[in-house]
Amino acid sequence: MISLSSFVQKASSLIDPANFNIPSLSSNDNNPSKASLFRQQFRLPDSQNPLQEITAELILPLPTSSSDSADGARRVDRPGNRYTGRLHLSERFICFSTQPTSFIPSSTLSASTSWTGQTHGTGPSGNGFTLPLSSIRRVERLHSARDVFSLALTTWNGLLNKQQEPNFAPQRLILQLVGSRQACERFCDCLKKGLREGMKEVDNLRSVVTDCYSEYLLSGAKAKDANDGEGRQPPDAGLGMLFRYPGDARKLRDRSKMRLWGEYFRENGRNSTLVRQPTFHKLIRVGLPNRLRGEIWELTAGSMFLRIRSPKLYEETLTKFDGQESLAIDEIEKDLNRSLPEYPGFQSEEGIGRLRRVLTAYSWTNAEVGYCQAMNIVVAALLIYMSEAQAFFLLSVLCDRLLPGYYSTTMYGTLLDQKVFESLVEKTMPVLWEHLAKFDVQLSVVSLPWFLSLYINSMPLVFAFRVLDVFFLEGPKVLFQVGLAILRINGEELLDIQDDGSFISVLKSYFSRLDESAHPRSENPKLRAITRFQELMVVAFKEFSGITHSTITEQREKHKDAVLNNIESFAKRTSIRNLGPESKRLSVDDLGTIYDRFYETLYQWQQHQQVAEEERIRQEKKKSERQSVLGPPVDRQVGRVGLGPSPTHMDYDAFREFLAATSKWAVSDSPAPARKESSSSGYGSLRGNGKSLLWANRRQPADHEFMQRLYRKWATDPEEGLSLQNVVNGLARLKGAPDIMNNINYFFTLYDDSGNGQVDREGILKMSEALLFLSRRGFEGTITATQSLEDLNSPRGSEQAEQNRLTTDEKFLGSVSAFIRRCFEYADPSHPDNQKAAFSDSTTEVTEKLDSFAIGDDEEDLIDVNDDEEPKASSAAVSSPHPTESSQQGRPRSESANPALDPNNPLHITLPTFRMVVLADELLEQFFESYFPQSFHLSDHPHPASLAASSSLSSNLTTFSNIGHARSSASVVAGAPVAGASGGIVPPGKGLRGVLDNIVTDGIRMAAEVKKRMDDAQRELERNALGGRDEEDDEDEDDDYPSRQGASAAAMAGGISSWGAGAYGADPERRSVREADRDLLEGAEAEVISIRAPKEEAASQSKHRAKSPASAHDPEIVSEVVEFES
Amino acid sequence: MSESASANAPKPSSSVKLVLLGEAAVGKSSLVLRFVNNDFQENKEPTIGAAFLTQKCTLPTRTIKFEIWDTAGQERFASLAPMYYRNAQAALVVYDVTKPSSLTKAKHWVAELQRQASPGIVIALVGNKLDLTNDGGDATGASSAPQAESESAGQDEAEAGEEAEEQLPASGDARKVSTREASTYAEEEGLLFFETSAKIGTNVVEVFTAIANAIPESSLKTGRGAGGAGQTALGSRSGEDSRVNLGDRGAATAKEGCAC
Repeated sequence: MISLSSFVQKASSLIDPANFNIPSLSSNDNNPSKASLFRQQFRLPDSQNPLQEITAELILPLPTSSSDSADGARRVDRPGNRYTGRLHLSERFICFSTQPTSFIPSSTLSASTSWTGQTHGTGPSGNGFTLPLSSIRRVERLHSARDVFSLALTTWNGLLNKQQEPNFAPQRLILQLVGSRQACERFCDCLKKGLREGMKEVDNLRSVVTDCYSEYLLSGAKAKDANDGEGRQPPDAGLGMLFRYPGDARKLRDRSKMRLWGEYFRENGRNSTLVRQPTFHKLIRVGLPNRLRGEIWELTAGSMFLRIRSPKLYEETLTKFDGQESLAIDEIEKDLNRSLPEYPGFQSEEGIGRLRRVLTAYSWTNAEVGYCQAMNIVVAALLIYMSEAQAFFLLSVLCDRLLPGYYSTTMYGTLLDQKVFESLVEKTMPVLWEHLAKFDVQLSVVSLPWFLSLYINSMPLVFAFRVLDVFFLEGPKVLFQVGLAILRINGEELLDIQDDGSFISVLKSYFSRLDESAHPRSENPKLRAITRFQELMVVAFKEFSGITHSTITEQREKHKDAVLNNIESFAKRTSIRNLGPESKRLSVDDLGTIYDRFYETLYQWQQHQQVAEEERIRQEKKKSERQSVLGPPVDRQVGRVGLGPSPTHMDYDAFREFLAATSKWAVSDSPAPARKESSSSGYGSLRGNGKSLLWANRRQPADHEFMQRLYRKWATDPEEGLSLQNVVNGLARLKGAPDIMNNINYFFTLYDDSGNGQVDREGILKMSEALLFLSRRGFEGTITATQSLEDLNSPRGSEQAEQNRLTTDEKFLGSVSAFIRRCFEYADPSHPDNQKAAFSDSTTEVTEKLDSFAIGDDEEDLIDVNDDEEPKASSAAVSSPHPTESSQQGRPRSESANPALDPNNPLHITLPTFRMVVLADELLEQFFESYFPQSFHLSDHPHPASLAASSSLSSNLTTFSNIGHARSSASVVAGAPVAGASGGIVPPGKGLRGVLDNIVTDGIRMAAEVKKRMDDAQRELERNALGGRDEEDDEDEDDDYPSRQGASAAAMAGGISSWGAGAYGADPERRSVREADRDLLEGAEAEVISIRAPKEEAASQSKHRAKSPASAHDPEIVSEVVEFES
Repeated sequence: MSESASANAPKPSSSVKLVLLGEAAVGKSSLVLRFVNNDFQENKEPTIGAAFLTQKCTLPTRTIKFEIWDTAGQERFASLAPMYYRNAQAALVVYDVTKPSSLTKAKHWVAELQRQASPGIVIALVGNKLDLTNDGGDATGASSAPQAESESAGQDEAEAGEEAEEQLPASGDARKVSTREASTYAEEEGLLFFETSAKIGTNVVEVFTAIANAIPESSLKTGRGAGGAGQTALGSRSGEDSRVNLGDRGAATAKEGCAC
């Protein structure tokens, strides 16, 4: 994604960036891609892309059927009409429109978005056609004048039926391509290829087409005349056929409308082969005849094309999920009896059954939407005019394309369009708007149901369907136009209202009188005959003709963020409130931070994976078609809570990202690890904003065993991932109660794999590795006991701080070594024989008792430990409550340590031992007391409780650590590399940067070497342990801190000491220290460099690779186009 | 409160915006229908967005015109709720006494209102479908199988869990939320509390009367007279009486009755 965005930048000089639609998920600019504009314009399925286009002239031959009732009006667009326009070719469709639009990659965005037709790009506008290639039977190249490249398309129009229609002549469209010979040839080649593919779909086409009422109308009419009747059942045209259609058919002039449509079909093709001429739009505006309504809706909305693609999908879906249950189904069930209950069809089992099946099937195909109240009303309305399968596909188009986000789980589309509507009212009717504002009447509470249920339960059904007729053809802007017209017409009355109630009642009474005359007192009978509804339509489409799809798109874009932010803050509020008692241990700010970070990580990770996935698919096969024809559009936006159902669980990799944003130690050491994608920090910082760029610039998360343990510990089900609740609970455990015992226990249980209160040798080493891992980026001031604020402010402050920190770090290394040593020293041998069970039992018991004890009042013991500074004594002190057990098992074993320390002998430590060992060391104690919990950075403001508690720990801690907090969280916000900005760590200068790198590299290596040197260490320790039982020796150890780095190195296994020194070797200030290990260090440096160089190369290579599939696509097209136009 | 504005000649009339919130199918619309039309319908069309109704409630000292926003209960409509409870002076948070999860949801709504709605909002917690319980009387049609208590109240508040178990599922008693549990909660949060049956009409009018009584005088918009009255009233309301103390709340206060 990173590489793509950078590629966009480069590519934009060559091609219009808006065209760069392939990484649709990552495109930051919200301009719709040209491909999606293309699909919108012709209402094509999401699988279609603009492949070829050419200017052409469509010549419609005179209808050979000599209809004798040809009146003047129709003659105009009939005989040999010629239309100039643009011919487009996609994978499976050939489309023609007189609208001068262009979607190919080389076209400008304005060429794709400037609409002048009635629908302004939201539907099949202008004159022309949208033909599935499968409906074309033959293409001939016509012999004509030299320069004219003419094609004659013969369609399957009327031939897919068994019965031959009277006076039938095959539909033949003539297209004259205008362009260079080469361009024409290219177009034809592509067409040929498409036709071959299309042939496979002819059977699908036949099965769909024979269900169309238009076919029945054209053939069946004759059958009735001939009286060999009954031969053919009329196709299912909805519940209306059984329960009557709403309204008075005579008053609606249904019969004459039907005749007109029959006429139109005969001359211009029907269903999949229909050619649009001006009459088509007019016929729709006057209202569709009942039996054709479903079919025309399906055709204009484009859902018929989906049905042709997979005609059996509806039945298959129902079968597939038969008997299964879901939340959506429960919700559907509740509403079945209350969907258009006044229509007789929905008082019957038949109607309710259909409604149930369609809603259920859709809830399965789009589980993200599932079921939303209002869908029941819309589907019920559709089912009056169409079959179940038709309604199913149309519902899908409605939810996914015509009303995006309306029925989603957050309903953001609904809220957004209300905002848009309000702003349009404000613009077009400022007086009314001010009046409403003055009386605090909220428009959207009134208009929301209009949009959500498409006026179906606001207006009388007959009129609502008239609105729908236009809506399916012209798109969502119709809803706005009608809404505005309603307010305009009632404007005067609305200016008198003073509250919600009267506002609603004015409109209610208006809706109930839509069938009355708009001008009842007019002298002119013609004017008197105009109904209020007709008036409404005129106002909507004439007066508000300026409201176009692009107006809506623009407004939506403008309000989108505000609406989403509202929804998100609502969701966040609700979500945080419902986190349960555990979460109360964290402050609201902290919870907010966790929430934000959790979802940000999830979305970015998801997005990132999607891009990677797409990349993979694209590499596998160039043009993979989507599995299902339904479902959310491919180019929809994702990535915000407000947009709908959110992913709820993060897997381990996402968790690493989360941790990297939370804790410094979770950030990887190498800026560009070879793992997966490449990162190029350069591009992002140059280009500023955008989430994907932040992602590009993000901290690469480390991958350490400790993090895996944390993940497993927090997850209720590691397979499923971590929920927000898991993360909050996990952090609440760590940060909620700032209690050292709690933290030590927690750390211990992370390594208690078997859950029996024991950690074995392997575990001890892993613990120490984790301690080093956690501390490798310094302690952010939480542990330096001598640090003060002035040091920071003084010019030499940073340097001094650095020194100070290093000292602490070094001390800490010593502490960790001591930790290992002591752990082994006081470890209990594990008995492989049957004693083991009994032993571990009793140990667990001890542990448990000690736990409860520790939680109760461990202060005394702590003091003991500190005062004595003598592990043995402390061991006795800690175990004193259980003298029998510990004296039997604890002490004697450690005294007979020799066999226990043999690497061949399994051994373990228990929690009390671990606790003792930790408390025996000042730094480790501080580590668990403050650094460990504080290294998880949440909000800037610590919980008051934890703040109070931590400030009581040491006097200077609050000031310094808070500085660290603020600064590091600032760096989180800025998305800058963390390593430099956090407290205590010097900003990355050239020299110091190397120091840090080395520290980090060496620290890691050190941890890794622990294992290798284990035996050595063991022997060393053995020796020490033997002597270590002497009190003097121990005191020595503990008192000797300052001079430790040398001393302990000597005392410790050689390996460990050299890591310690090596870690700081590159620091110019400390040359003396590293002198002894210079060779080792240089080796390491060389290693680092040699590692880094190939990595960077690999990174840039992989970046290149990541780009190439995308780039391979476009330049190809570009080059084609260049040829094409030359 | 009732004595304060005693003998003013015509009773002052004021309107109160009231919003109903609660889980789907707990009977919000039915409560309103019972209150407004004294009617009950088995199959009401689901509320899309929100339905608006008005009803007057006459108290001894004044008349209150309720402007009732009855919101949709489906979970996803929750994000529309802020639109409806904006500037509401009263809220009815409804749960279903046979469904513990609905009380959990109700608590969420209460928390949301307390944090986000107008400061002085009067909230009533209402447990509906009393007719399905034994103390609710005649109705025995406990047909609606109570849903598995998957995420029952237990996880929300500690006290919820224990109380739910103390129920004895007596024959024909579908009650799953004890009166004590809900009333304790209501007391803690300072809410009015009622158990009602929209089906047979128990306590419905009482709820609205109690709310009418609890609305502080100062927060009432008096009449719909001069332009801009609405706005100024709103402005002044927010400051004072940020919390209404409902000391003597409960069914007892509902004596005055509601002349609807």
